Amino acid sequence: MTDILRLSLPLSVWIAAFSAVYGLEGIVCSDHWAAAGLSLGQGRAALLVAWAAAIAVQVVLLAGLRMPRFASSLPGVQRIAAILAAVALVATVWSLLPVAATSLCL
Amino acid sequence: MTDKPRLTALRLHKALYPIWRNDPGWKGVLTTVNNNTIGTMFILGAAGMFLAGGILAMLIRAQLASPRSAFMGPEVYNQIFTMHGTIMMFLFAIPFFEALTVFLLPAMLGTRDLAFPRLGAYGFWCYMIGATIMIVALLAGVAPDGGWFMYPPLSSSAHSPGINTDIWLLGISFIEISAIGAAVEVVVTVLRYRAVGMTLDRLPIFAWYMLVVAVMILTAFPPMILGSLILELERAFDMPFFQAEHGGDSLLWQHLFWLFGHPEVYIIFLPAAGVISAILPVMARTTLLGYGWVVAAAISLAVLSFGLWVHHMFTTGIPHMGLAFFSAVSTLVAVPTGVQIFAWIGTLWKGRPRMHLPMLWIMGFFVTFVMGGLTGVMVAMVPFDWQAHDTYFVVAHLHYVLIGGYVFPMIAGIYYWLPVLTGRKRFFRMGEVAFWLVMAGFHGTFLLLHWAGLLGMRRRVDSIEAGSGWEGINLLASVSGFVLAIGFGLVVLDVAANALVAVRGRRNPWNAGTLEWATPIPSPAYNVASIPVVDSRYPLHDNPGLPVQIARGEGFLGHPTRNRRETLAVSVSGARPDFIAVMPRNSIVPFAMAVVTSVMFMAPVWKGWWLMFASAGGVAMLAMVWAWAGGSRHDEGLLDAGRGVTLPPHTEISHPPGWWGSLFLLLADAVLFGSLLFGYAFLWTVAPNWPPPAILEPGTGGPALAAGGAVLACGGIRGADQAIRRGRAPWPGLVASLAGLAALGGAAWTVFGGTTHDAHAYDATLWVIAGYAVFHAGVAGLMALFLMARIRAGFISARRCGDARVVRLWIDYAALTAALGLGAAWLPGWLA
Ligand code: HEM
Ligand SMILES: [Cu+2]
Repeated sequence: MTDILRLSLPLSVWIAAFSAVYGLEGIVCSDHWAAAGLSLGQGRAALLVAWAAAIAVQVVLLAGLRMPRFASSLPGVQRIAAILAAVALVATVWSLLPVAATSLCL
Repeated sequence: MTDKPRLTALRLHKALYPIWRNDPGWKGVLTTVNNNTIGTMFILGAAGMFLAGGILAMLIRAQLASPRSAFMGPEVYNQIFTMHGTIMMFLFAIPFFEALTVFLLPAMLGTRDLAFPRLGAYGFWCYMIGATIMIVALLAGVAPDGGWFMYPPLSSSAHSPGINTDIWLLGISFIEISAIGAAVEVVVTVLRYRAVGMTLDRLPIFAWYMLVVAVMILTAFPPMILGSLILELERAFDMPFFQAEHGGDSLLWQHLFWLFGHPEVYIIFLPAAGVISAILPVMARTTLLGYGWVVAAAISLAVLSFGLWVHHMFTTGIPHMGLAFFSAVSTLVAVPTGVQIFAWIGTLWKGRPRMHLPMLWIMGFFVTFVMGGLTGVMVAMVPFDWQAHDTYFVVAHLHYVLIGGYVFPMIAGIYYWLPVLTGRKRFFRMGEVAFWLVMAGFHGTFLLLHWAGLLGMRRRVDSIEAGSGWEGINLLASVSGFVLAIGFGLVVLDVAANALVAVRGRRNPWNAGTLEWATPIPSPAYNVASIPVVDSRYPLHDNPGLPVQIARGEGFLGHPTRNRRETLAVSVSGARPDFIAVMPRNSIVPFAMAVVTSVMFMAPVWKGWWLMFASAGGVAMLAMVWAWAGGSRHDEGLLDAGRGVTLPPHTEISHPPGWWGSLFLLLADAVLFGSLLFGYAFLWTVAPNWPPPAILEPGTGGPALAAGGAVLACGGIRGADQAIRRGRAPWPGLVASLAGLAALGGAAWTVFGGTTHDAHAYDATLWVIAGYAVFHAGVAGLMALFLMARIRAGFISARRCGDARVVRLWIDYAALTAALGLGAAWLPGWLA
């Protein structure tokens, strides 16, 4: 089962982070955000922080999975896990890039 | 083979066959739990649905062939296209690959059956009964008519008052049982029931794909099941989930539907990719290039596809940044798709391809699917999609990917595995003609429809106007459509003729390397005479003698002396022998339970609430009869598994197959619960007319009951579990646990008292959350009572404690979700 975890963890963390940031964007653009006395600039900052945190987690996962302590005993699985962790990192950077690049609540 | 080994093999066959065979005659059809029989019936059922959907398609094309056609009125036309989409997506595409998997997987993995044979039978019967209901509804003229994605408010009772929509919501949810059941089965089978030595990195590539797809089914279907449930609640009880004036939002439906719907298209595509990855190397007389990369691509696609759903909602006014997220992921999925395609091309490159019929269909796939993928990337671009959305451009795109990307590979698969399925070798040669008819017909039908879409032809129009500029294209599409239909008809005829009357073939005609080719053909009821030991991805290539060794019982469990259905379970990743699983006998219970379940689902269509509750009780009863049949009243200790190894039976390990099945079923359940919380948060932040006029007052009684109940329920079952393992009396723990569950139910009940179900979407959501808690506490309570009865009847001992573990899992889940859900329900009151 730990091998299944190795294979599924990074991308699961990606989908969780992706959904969370999308949800955060929804909150920032809702009336609740303004009602709480927060500005759109602060909203953008929160999104950027969330993005950076998501990337950091992926880097940790990628590095961790390569450490002998957490590596799989099956070489084939180890390779697939490494590819998937890299995919998750790229996906995190790319899919959440809009928080830095597009208009916020238009 | 010399005489002696052949004799040994024959003797083994004669010993195994009576143990595994179906009951004789018609009774056997209803009581079978065998994967080969169920797989065959399932394939036939799904193929029948393909024909039904195809006939509807022909009616559609007949209507659109000429301007202002009077062939059908709009009421009929709406039912026809809705049922076409519904049948093709839910009654053909998903069941068909499931059927193929049910048939092939055990032999391919080198085991004797799927993990839960009765679940397979139950799922199959649910599917057959549900499909029959849908077809009857169509013939009776009360079929669903709101499009295959049933958007409210069109599907709300104000705009769709008849029972048509209810039939869709309840009927399709009912049919989903078979998908979920099959998924649980496939996951547990792939993880635990394999040949010894078939480590995760030696898994046949098709099995990898199906594992991924099964997990996707478990995580993608629940949002839609939840959506169907709450839309039905809105229709039946006015709970305003989707009505803006009462705090609902019709976009919630779109989110829930596409949260399922986009993964769904990959649930359909990945099995096809699995078939291709299995066949292509054999046709090219080589091995798959980049196995690890292909597995990684499949897993990536699966997960990435959960971050795409909003691209079906680009035109709904979501903020740009939101759209950009989903557009970004939509472009990203092209990468793993590309990796697979390059792996396939590389495989062809390094091999020496032969142009047999399956290969021909794969070539057809390549051409067609790449075109569909390109239009997919086009509509994934937000500004383009604003133009193309809801036009025939999308219709053309989706048929390129669905027919090219799914149907063609499946036909390739049928031809490729025909010897395993039927034991015959292809003799009639209509297949090639059929192929070319299909190719010409397909592109003739759909290619120009892209342009019709760009010229402004909206999808789902029931007639076209003269002078619109689309008439020529539509006439051509209709004529080609009939050519396409004739082509598919010929495929069916050809397969049927070859299956029924062609000559017997020999084993492994393609010289493939995977284990489904090691069995005699067609594969016998027990699939493998003994569980083989393998040490590579292509065991038949490395060890051509393997089929004989298996047949002679040189693998594990080659001496069926205990006269019951046994197979071997292995450790998840290293595939070392772990325990002996005793499989159930033939049984009528799955069929009976499917019948009663269908009543439970369909009674609400006519507001038959009492009938619904009565049949729910019936299902619970039958479920207990089902679960009672397994197990043993005495400890067996370690048993001889052959090859000098002794193993415990599954009743004497701490995490039996039922625990694994529960684990993955609860994964699906947890996704449903998560979707429910998502819906709550979504409505709260996005929907108009919030906050609600009145907020639930938590008080102290409810929260105290909930906290105490959760602690008592989990603590009690833990105590009972420990007591069982130490041979002491488990009653105090079990009673405490039951009391805890009752308290949880009581806590949830206070929510009903503090809210009015139809006042506001907030109230309605709280009712569903509380209902979820009550339901799960009830199920867990029933299981605890059942466990008590099992203990009294002597099925449980210190060694035989697996049942208690299963119940513990369900109780923990019930307590956890009740605590989370009720916490979320009370949160606004606490904050206020
Ligand atoms: C695996 C193969 C694919 C299948 C089976 C598939 C299937 C479908 C289906 C059934 C629809 C129509 C849904 C409806 O009824 O509205 C659709 C629409 C769409 N597809 Fe695909 N698709 C596939 C690949 C792709 C790819 C690779 C992309 C993009 C990268 C894509 C992007 C879209 C978009 C954006 C729409 C929505 C268009 C609109 O409604 O405006 N699809 N697809
Ligand atoms: Cu999509």
